[in-house]
Amino acid sequence: MSDSILVYGADWCGDCHRTRALFDQYNVAYTYVNIDEDAAAKAKMLELVDGRNTLPTVVFTDGSIMQEPSNDELLIKLNLRPAADETATPVVPEHDIIIVGAGPAALTAAIYTTREDIETLLFERGVVGGLAAVTDKIDNYPGFPDGVAGLTLADDLRKQAERFGAVIELGEVTGLKTQGDKTLVSSTSGDMLARAVLLAVGSDYKKIGVPGELEYYARGVHYCATCDGAFYRDKKIVVVGGGNSAVQEAIFLTRFTTHIDLLVRSKMRASDVLQKDLQKFVDDGKITIHLNTTTDEIVGENNSVNKVVITEDGTKKDLAVDGVFVFVGLEPNSQFLKDTPVELDEIGFIKSDDRMMTSMPGVFVAGDIRAGATMQIASAAGEGATAALKMREYLEGQPHPIQN
Amino acid sequence: MPKNVTIFTTNTCGYCQMVKKYLSAKGVGYQEVNLDEHPDRQAEALALSGAMTVPVTVVTKNDDSQEVIVGYNLAKLAPAVA
Ligand SMILES: Cc1cc2nc3c(=O)[nH]c(=O)nc-3n(C[C@H](O)[C@H](O)[C@H](O)COP(=O)(O)OP(=O)(O)OC[C@H]3O[C@@H](n4cnc5c(N)ncnc54)[C@H](O)[C@@H]3O)c2cc1C
Repeated sequence: MSDSILVYGADWCGDCHRTRALFDQYNVAYTYVNIDEDAAAKAKMLELVDGRNTLPTVVFTDGSIMQEPSNDELLIKLNLRPAADETATPVVPEHDIIIVGAGPAALTAAIYTTREDIETLLFERGVVGGLAAVTDKIDNYPGFPDGVAGLTLADDLRKQAERFGAVIELGEVTGLKTQGDKTLVSSTSGDMLARAVLLAVGSDYKKIGVPGELEYYARGVHYCATCDGAFYRDKKIVVVGGGNSAVQEAIFLTRFTTHIDLLVRSKMRASDVLQKDLQKFVDDGKITIHLNTTTDEIVGENNSVNKVVITEDGTKKDLAVDGVFVFVGLEPNSQFLKDTPVELDEIGFIKSDDRMMTSMPGVFVAGDIRAGATMQIASAAGEGATAALKMREYLEGQPHPIQN
Repeated sequence: MPKNVTIFTTNTCGYCQMVKKYLSAKGVGYQEVNLDEHPDRQAEALALSGAMTVPVTVVTKNDDSQEVIVGYNLAKLAPAVA
């Protein structure tokens, strides 16, 4: 028992910031215990919760304990909201900023907004860090003279955003609607209101659309080298594509495979630097490049791929292979915006004005998904920072919500 | 809380990190089989999942029934470990 509520947390823990912000908002007195700075307190906490090391751990004055509670659970516990009163209209949670996606553009924007004390919630349906997190090594992001592993960069961006209080919800945003001067965001965690929204949803891998592609998905046909490459140790594969990603992924995959046929529909589109890297593997006999080559069919037996049918310079051929990795470009993740006023270009990228705002008021865009973006991590980060500052300007021109 | 959770992973796989992150956030313990360190166990992952991909998460429930979740799929993972 204690005369004040104890919140055991850590500065990097987003849910701890959320909990403390809620207590502050409702004038609930509490003592914050940073377990990173107080080993004895951490030991005490672990003793109270049978070793379940989850933050925040909230100890109430009656001795009861909640771990990682939602805001709703806390309000009910503190008698600040009646439990499940069916006659009451449901309270739609409200946020200053909701960011859709948690890739480099989104996380950079969140570093800027939260550092200025603008409360920010991010939604991520896939990997925190976006495409950067599934890229093996990044050689052209400034500040890393020896390059940086995609996973490391992603994790560091996340930590930096969470340090200032950004909260990342694992879930998907499914729609947007204007409601007064706010935006109603529908998500797998329910509906919420936001004073401003940032769309930083990036793109996903494109399929080639040939027979066998869907049938052998993840059983011989793959789109993520860093995820599935390890299954091709000492095997023979093809990589489809001739752009930067295809070349980068083919080079990554040589660490597993005995040989790679690189199938390029017309000619190489990868940068000179990458092509020079690629040439070393061609000289060593680890990669063979096939230009003017279409991939026509993926064929297999007993749940695994054994050949691909190709047309090279007009001649049909079979290549005996164990697997196919496809990197033929990206498809914008804007399908969920179809029924909204957010204007897209012919391909599906989001149009914006010089404030990075879309055609829907209060809804901004940054990163790979923005029409005209240059599709690099450094530029996505830069756009995230710009969008954050533009959103702040927008919010300052708007009345603050009345806090109770 | 399930009886046991085993995740097959590799060093470079971002979706594997997400499964681990989700389980840690929910306070669910797990064992990890890193296929880069134990390539000999690859066949086991393949047999369980029928797919040449990671992450593969094997959840053993309290009644000893097993659920195998391929990839990072919160719609399946969340109820399986609840
Ligand atoms: C193989 C490969 C190699 C690359 N190598 C490099 C490199 O070396 N250097 C470089 O600078 N760039 C590289 N890039 C490009 C770089 O990865 C992208 O430019 C960058 O990741 C874009 O960041 P972003 O934040 O705009 O989008 P993304 O990284 O795509 O992130 C968007 C996120 O939004 C999430 N999302 C989408 N829709 C929703 C929704 N409705 N609800 C919730 N979440 C959603 C997605 O799951 C995703 O995680 C590479 C790309 C690939 C594919």
